[in-house]
Amino acid sequence: MPTTANQPLAEILTQMRVGNQSFLIKFYQDRRDHFARWARRQHQLEPAAAHELLRTVLVDFYDQVADGRLTKMPADMRAHLYGMGQERMEAASRVSTGTEELPVVEASRRQRMLRLFRQLGSDSQLLLMYFYFKAFSFDKVAGKMGYANANVARLQKANCLRKLYEIMSRDQNSADDGAGAAALAT
Amino acid sequence: MTPPPIDLRPYLDELERFDDGLMTPAEQEAFELRLEQDADLQRAYELYEQITSDLRWVAGHETLRHRLQGLDMRLDQRQDALDRMHRRQRRQQRRWGLVAAAVVLAALGLWLALRTPPPNAQRDWARYYVPDPGLPESAGLSSHRPLLAEAMQQYRAGHFPAALHALRRVPTDNLGQDTVLYYNGIILLRQNQPVAARSYLKRVSQMPQSNLTSKARYHLGMAYWMANQATEARAALREVASDSLNPYRKPARRVLDAKVIQPQDSSR
Repeated sequence: MPTTANQPLAEILTQMRVGNQSFLIKFYQDRRDHFARWARRQHQLEPAAAHELLRTVLVDFYDQVADGRLTKMPADMRAHLYGMGQERMEAASRVSTGTEELPVVEASRRQRMLRLFRQLGSDSQLLLMYFYFKAFSFDKVAGKMGYANANVARLQKANCLRKLYEIMSRDQNSADDGAGAAALAT
Repeated sequence: MTPPPIDLRPYLDELERFDDGLMTPAEQEAFELRLEQDADLQRAYELYEQITSDLRWVAGHETLRHRLQGLDMRLDQRQDALDRMHRRQRRQQRRWGLVAAAVVLAALGLWLALRTPPPNAQRDWARYYVPDPGLPESAGLSSHRPLLAEAMQQYRAGHFPAALHALRRVPTDNLGQDTVLYYNGIILLRQNQPVAARSYLKRVSQMPQSNLTSKARYHLGMAYWMANQATEARAALREVASDSLNPYRKPARRVLDAKVIQPQDSSR
């Protein structure tokens, strides 16, 4: 693919591991329409569904790199990603979590965290993404979020983390209650 | 997920300050010492590390998902805008095409409506020419001048070569020269040979004592017209039209009034 001509594969992988997603963004921008045509030919998939599939595949690929499940960059990125799309289309009934190859405990924990994270408000999500993924300083977070200063950003981040923890605790309690009720029933 | 083994809330402030690097070196040293000695704090720290690690993974996952969704929306919008632009261009092209076709049709219609039909001298000549009826058939003519009678018969029947052939066999002592010349000219004119006819008719038109002079002038004028000699034709016919005794006065006037004698590009 075009990017690899200027950028060695290993470097792309390294960049991705430290959170540089531009390779995948560019891939989507360049290949979206081509992938949609390919998916229509292969599986009569509508363009909107094909676009969504490609996004899922790219996020999945990124997760694999971030988790350390993928340690070597495929020689033909396009073939690899289209292959992942093909697998997903063939197993359309199977809902993939994107973390199948992880140890069960870790995979389920991350999926739970993902589910609970999405329960936060969009501002809280954005703030945590800035801080934990983009590693922005409190000053930069304040600038991005429109807070008065870094101290406000720090307090807001602490607040968001507490909210998330509360949601996790509530979720854990309801899971425990459910398990308890099931045990009593048996 | 493994249930939280310990309630993080009492430790959260301290853990965050430590993790975010907000402690002074002395506080940090003291905290690290407590971490080694306080089992609960250690468990809380491990849980905190696990949560923030998972949060980093989730944040990366969600960041990419949001970025791709945003990009998708922008690409869709761009595609929609391009489609709209192409549709508008096609509509405009169709509209201009229709306008151009309408203009062409209107121009064509206008041209057809306003154009003057191309002059057709041959058609006009045939339309205005009044041919000589030939000598009337009579018993005297048949008995005394059988060849002339035959020539007239062929002439009236439209068999001009045969008529000319018969006429040229008529003995000259039996017939006036003006008659022979006149009918030679008349027959040649009917054979569309105006140049040959002209010389015969001209000679007759210059014979003042002949009865055929005035008639010959008309046919000479028409021969000039057929030969595309418009000036001479108009002059000859004007002379005929002004001669009140000329039997062809009216046809000559009609031709002149119609102003159809125009010089042509190609001669007959």
